[in-house]
Amino acid sequence: MLCGSLALYACHTDPVPEAPSKDSALTGTKVDVAGIPSGIRKIFVLNEGGMGANNATLDFLRVSDGNYITGAFKKMNPAEGAGLGDVGNDIVVIGDEVWIVVNNSGIVEVLSAKDETEIAAITIPTPRNIAFDEHYAYVTSWAGAFAQYTYDDKGGVTLTDFKNPKGQVYRINLETKKIDGQVEVGWQPEGIACYNGRLYVANSGGIACSLPPDYAYDKTVSVIDVKSFKVTKTLEVEINLKSVCSDNAGNIYVTTFGNFATIHSGLYMIDTRNGDAVKKIGDYVSAMTIFGQTVFCIGNENELDWSAPRVYKGWSCTKGVKGAFSLPVNCANLHGIIALDADTFLTGDAGDYFNPGSVTLYHKGSISWTVPSGVCPGHFAIW
Amino acid sequence: MLTARLIVLSLVFSAPIAAAAQEADTLGAARVWSVSRRPVVKPAEEVFLPAVTGAPTRIDAVLRRFSGVQVKDYGGIGGLKTVNVRSLGSEHVGIFLDGIQIDNAQNMQVDVGRFSTDGIGTVALFPGQKSRRLQSAKEYASGAAVHLDSARPSREDGSGGRVRLRGGSFGTVNPSILWDKALCRELTLRTGAEFIGSNGRYRYPYFDTTLVRENGDIRSLRLEATLFGRFRHGDGMLRVYSYGSERGFPGPVIRRAAGFPFSAERQSDQDFFVQGGYELDWTPRYATALKFKYANDYLHYDTHPERNPMALPYDLHFRQRSAYVSLAQSYIPADPWSVDLSTDVQRNTLQSDVGHFVTPVRTTFVGALATRRAGERFRVAAHIVYLGARDAFNTPQAGGWTRENRYRDAWMPSLCLFYAPAEGIEADIFAKRSYRMPSFNDLYYAQMGNSNLEPESAMQFGGSIRFNGERGPWRWEGRLSPYINRVENKIVAIPTSSQFRWTMLNIGKVDIRGCDAKADIALHREGWDLGLCLRYAFQQALDHTKPGSQTYGNQIPYIPRHSGNADLEAGWKGWSLRWSATFTGERWSRAANIPDYYIRPWVLCDASLFKKIPLPSFQNRLETPSLEVGLNCGNIFDTPYQIVQGYPMPGFNILLSVEFSW
Repeated sequence: MLCGSLALYACHTDPVPEAPSKDSALTGTKVDVAGIPSGIRKIFVLNEGGMGANNATLDFLRVSDGNYITGAFKKMNPAEGAGLGDVGNDIVVIGDEVWIVVNNSGIVEVLSAKDETEIAAITIPTPRNIAFDEHYAYVTSWAGAFAQYTYDDKGGVTLTDFKNPKGQVYRINLETKKIDGQVEVGWQPEGIACYNGRLYVANSGGIACSLPPDYAYDKTVSVIDVKSFKVTKTLEVEINLKSVCSDNAGNIYVTTFGNFATIHSGLYMIDTRNGDAVKKIGDYVSAMTIFGQTVFCIGNENELDWSAPRVYKGWSCTKGVKGAFSLPVNCANLHGIIALDADTFLTGDAGDYFNPGSVTLYHKGSISWTVPSGVCPGHFAIW
Repeated sequence: MLTARLIVLSLVFSAPIAAAAQEADTLGAARVWSVSRRPVVKPAEEVFLPAVTGAPTRIDAVLRRFSGVQVKDYGGIGGLKTVNVRSLGSEHVGIFLDGIQIDNAQNMQVDVGRFSTDGIGTVALFPGQKSRRLQSAKEYASGAAVHLDSARPSREDGSGGRVRLRGGSFGTVNPSILWDKALCRELTLRTGAEFIGSNGRYRYPYFDTTLVRENGDIRSLRLEATLFGRFRHGDGMLRVYSYGSERGFPGPVIRRAAGFPFSAERQSDQDFFVQGGYELDWTPRYATALKFKYANDYLHYDTHPERNPMALPYDLHFRQRSAYVSLAQSYIPADPWSVDLSTDVQRNTLQSDVGHFVTPVRTTFVGALATRRAGERFRVAAHIVYLGARDAFNTPQAGGWTRENRYRDAWMPSLCLFYAPAEGIEADIFAKRSYRMPSFNDLYYAQMGNSNLEPESAMQFGGSIRFNGERGPWRWEGRLSPYINRVENKIVAIPTSSQFRWTMLNIGKVDIRGCDAKADIALHREGWDLGLCLRYAFQQALDHTKPGSQTYGNQIPYIPRHSGNADLEAGWKGWSLRWSATFTGERWSRAANIPDYYIRPWVLCDASLFKKIPLPSFQNRLETPSLEVGLNCGNIFDTPYQIVQGYPMPGFNILLSVEFSW
């Protein structure tokens, strides 16, 4: 769904053998590329870093020679002294461009997938996640959300001004790399996916849950019509929504975090061919990835007991039907996963979330290798 | 006090004089027992501020010089400044004002930058146990302690005062007044007021360019009044204190899209407390000390998202209340042997409009039994402390949880030995187990708290060898203090299965081996004085949380393996020149000691010049008024440095001060 004209354009202008890429001198940890499906040139890993620590970093695996290279953004863009920025929250490859959402820097960074050099840095307040169609990128943003209230001596709260507490979706022109429109959605929107001329936006309410007047999570998916760029529908799912993905066959999958106390995390399906009917698939989702029409979920069985060790169990879902899936996840804190094919997965282990984590390749149900990454490896993209 | 008139060059030489003066103060007419006179534990560092010309005006500036102390400073006059001692977190360090703890049940961090040295006599550091007659149970219970003790009104006629105006870099304006007035023979009233205003703007290197720190301004006002009483059989004190401030937090230096500020966060505080104490000698052998405190602290934190589109929209209010009573009793069955029993009760509450807030109420009981025998050469003290805290809730249900009332308790034994083999040589050792209770934030903060936490424990072993002497115009003193600390059940923040919901767990283990050293030499000749003081601290603080992890065996964040400072002072006819150099060795901001988190070592040089001009006496008073003019230059070589990663510290700065005392 993401390819479109850019990829075609790139192919068209590169008929002669490619000159060595500017990043070919970068080397890192050598890994075994056996099992990685053919056709994949690079796998990008976005390390979130810690809030306020300005240590989001970009790693990538060059499949041709098996080098896993860390800190590639800083190495290829020395002029950007501050590095990639603070909290890398999403990464997507479209054509020969890597789009990286740097949440607490207020930047959507566009890089060349060939050599990680900067093409553009687009300013968007508190950007979260990103999706594409042929002409635009769509970025969810928490900006604009604030309420004002006063507090009296007896502990009472009076709302004095309640201004636009909701988030936005910004639209960016792929050619000009300029913002050309925004639309209001729900509270603290997170994941976003594009399918069939419509955007599905998961609203979390991750901040609204600690703000008056309701102290409540959001539980809706906003559906935006791409042509009119207006919210046409709001679907009620479950509290604290997180990620959204499309199987490109009419089903939209949404994960929830629950409330960390009594309501489990889970996976829900929106059936777009059936009037956007919402159906619960199952509980326990710490991380999710989709390959073809199958969603792979890893959940922590002890998710409501934080003192207990993590017990990661996998399960899957195809066309709304729950299925078996097992992966011997050996992680301190599973932070992200991507399916390279139905048998090959990369996971990110955030460790203690302060110190550098690691990335592991699983092939046919066993671990191929583990390499050290940046802090909180959580997001992957394939070129 | 006699010492006030002396120009004592070096900070250290004032210590014995101050201690002697204080003992004479507190004991009044009662007989001076050997067990009271001879300390079993001496403070590792002690300064008698009134004897120092051009003494620092903020407590953090005094503590920064102490060996083994690290002041974590987020930069600027309004930036948070907390104290670590010997690699123990600031939660283990008790800050005591006249024997009563300045505490913060919400996060157990005391911002020492807020406290002025106005009216303070001694500042003393006890890295292990403090053991004195009639101290409160909380004084026994603190892992390490900083004690701030008021200077008693000194003048013969009980009256005097001081007006000071300071100002300089960062648009700083800092007027203050201190005024002592004898009400009658027994009572003296001291009133003090201070305003600080600063725009907090300073230049700092931002990657390959230079920026100016924004939103770091502060305005604060302190008003206080203290009533000192001295009666035939006892001493008393009653203090009313109020502090209000409004400040901005400039935020960490990160990559931020052009047009968005780093931060628009503001905080305002209104702190109030009233505290008092009364020491009474019932018989020559039996004495009691009663202390109390009531504190009410209000805090408003606002991220101002309307001014900063990057801000998470928080507008939070907190009110802490604390009530505290302590009764200490001391009996001397046979001098030099004493037995002490101290019992403290405290109640803390925290109210907030944070979502799903449980409004905790903590009732703490601390009991301490102590005995000490203070011989001429050999002294010993043993203490056992019981700490119990019960948490209850005004709103037990919040955010899906039901909080159950919890009682946490701990026993803390300690033993101290002191031996003076010869004149000018002393040695001491101590062993101590201490605990710190989890804070309200650790337990109940909506997005973090874990109400199953246990207290965090610290096992401490340490010793010191001290020597001092004098010959002709020379005086010298030295100290070498090795120690071993082990922190277990360290409270660490980690995320749950979702990174959006963090929690606190008792999982950390840290093994600390270190040594503080200090050497001080002074020369006093007709009309002029010279002093040189060198301090060095070695701290190896290793993470031993999880064998096999990448951080196991690495130095914990922010603790330098090597640090130290050198102070050179010269005095001549009322002039006082001081040069200070501070060195902090390499550090890492994470327990992963890799190049990405490496913080370069830095050396910082400060200098000050003061001139004290005696003025003609008036009204036939014993004391002559004086004028003191001073210039402080900070970071003379404009060295860029950071104490906390992402929080650049100011470059070259100056402060001028004019002070009139009478």
